[in-house]
Amino acid sequence: MKDVYIFGIESSCDETSCSIVKNGKEEIATIISSQIDVHKNFGGVVPEIASRHHVKNITMVIEECLWKAQMTMDDMDAIAVTYGPGLIGSLLVGLEAAKTLAWIHKKPLIPVHHISGHIYANNLVEEMKFPLIALIISGGHTELVYMKNHYSFEKLGGTLDDAVGECYDKVARVIEVPYPGGPTLDRWSTEGNDTYDLPIPLNDNSYNFSFSGLKSAVINLVHNEEQRGNEIRKKDLATSFQNRVIESLTKKTMKALEDKNVKNFIIAGGVAANQSIRERFRELCEEKNIHYTVPELKYCTDNAAMIATSGFFAYQSGRIADLTLNSKSSDILN
Amino acid sequence: MKILYIDTTTSYLYGALYEENKVIESVTIKLGKDLSVFTLQKIKEMFEKANLELDHIDKIIVVNGPGSFTGIRIGVTIAKVYAYSLKKKITTISSLQAMALSTKKDVEYRIPIIDARRGYVYAAIYDKDNVPILKEQYLSLQALLCAIENLPGEYTVITNDEIEIENKEDYFPNYEIIIHTMKEKEEINPHAVNPIYLKLTEAEEKQGVANND
Repeated sequence: MKDVYIFGIESSCDETSCSIVKNGKEEIATIISSQIDVHKNFGGVVPEIASRHHVKNITMVIEECLWKAQMTMDDMDAIAVTYGPGLIGSLLVGLEAAKTLAWIHKKPLIPVHHISGHIYANNLVEEMKFPLIALIISGGHTELVYMKNHYSFEKLGGTLDDAVGECYDKVARVIEVPYPGGPTLDRWSTEGNDTYDLPIPLNDNSYNFSFSGLKSAVINLVHNEEQRGNEIRKKDLATSFQNRVIESLTKKTMKALEDKNVKNFIIAGGVAANQSIRERFRELCEEKNIHYTVPELKYCTDNAAMIATSGFFAYQSGRIADLTLNSKSSDILN
Repeated sequence: MKILYIDTTTSYLYGALYEENKVIESVTIKLGKDLSVFTLQKIKEMFEKANLELDHIDKIIVVNGPGSFTGIRIGVTIAKVYAYSLKKKITTISSLQAMALSTKKDVEYRIPIIDARRGYVYAAIYDKDNVPILKEQYLSLQALLCAIENLPGEYTVITNDEIEIENKEDYFPNYEIIIHTMKEKEEINPHAVNPIYLKLTEAEEKQGVANND
């Protein structure tokens, strides 16, 4: 079979990224231009500033990626791009760039859903085995998805309010951990003790999640302790908070795997970089004899390698868009 | 010389193809919120009508603002990716200058205005030779009216927005004059082609205020 090279573009939030992936499993080159230092000053991603940086960087990122791969656009079989969900202004820059490349080089244009990208980051580790259940956890998403085969997505459940990563960011802000707070909270949680009384979020039999209650509980706890003049034991609070998050994520996920009698599990998204969450799932899956895959740390956060990978399978299943492809701030994965 | 002209800085797509000193094809269409959906498709159709190959273009002239932030980025992204990827020359023109060049009136001063909302506008004042008397900027309509009051000669206001002001004429780009005037303008490295917003983001403004306290 002839090799298939996909050129991927991702710009849904604050990373401008391009990547070339061969046959949906072999990364040839990836460039990620992160704006984290810019947004740090504002305590979070500012959409208009993110868009301004994307348009400034886009051609340089494309050029660097091709240079790194020592390839040209003529070597590409198709252009894959994140069309949503994400920040609309940011998405638009990547989308217009992809549409322009597809048009001027006469290549098929492949629309890729951001979440499918996160899922397919796992195919860069090893070929995905089906049926599987995927847990996507990031700053914008918390979803349990059932996949019977490639490009078949059935959403089992998701967050009813805050995404898990969003909850980490807010808790980090309350206890004054610099942005992005997730990695620090994770580190602290391994150094503290689970001494604070926090609720397990949405402790029911559904596949849904809810993190706003846990967030509020942390905010109230910090407020009350401050009122009483008690010092917050930040590491203990981080441990208590993270344990509840893990409890919620693992309970719902393991239930889904059991109910559906599925033996393959993958985890994806920015929060999948959390060491404690990765480890806890590894232990549980070993216990239950479930095949477990998690992307390399560099592919957990937003990147175009996962978009090019997902794009390969979208291309195989005939998903091709024309030049009127539009960005969508929210869209159901299907 | 074959030139592609693109302007998406307002709710309109203004596009033109220019060859041997004349416009051979153009597209003028109000797309509003659908600018991101149809711009490229319309440009593609324009090339097809003109029977022109993409690779035969010698130079791209892109309008890089001021105007709608999202709109500006659509045109600039298309133009810089095109120029970079097909190794074409590229240069920029401001939306206000394109408007001033397109006036149908023969008066001393040309005042292009784009509504920036909340009582503010993007505007400039040019004389007959296109020399800026008031350089392009983001200012309150009030301040602009004061500047206009002090002009010693007759003027025309070019705008497509609903602004309460005298001597208004609608903006319809005169592609031939715009391209003819700008075609020799020095080319820019495509990577360095960027929007001119003339306005900070709200987050930056707030931080600026906070820093001054």
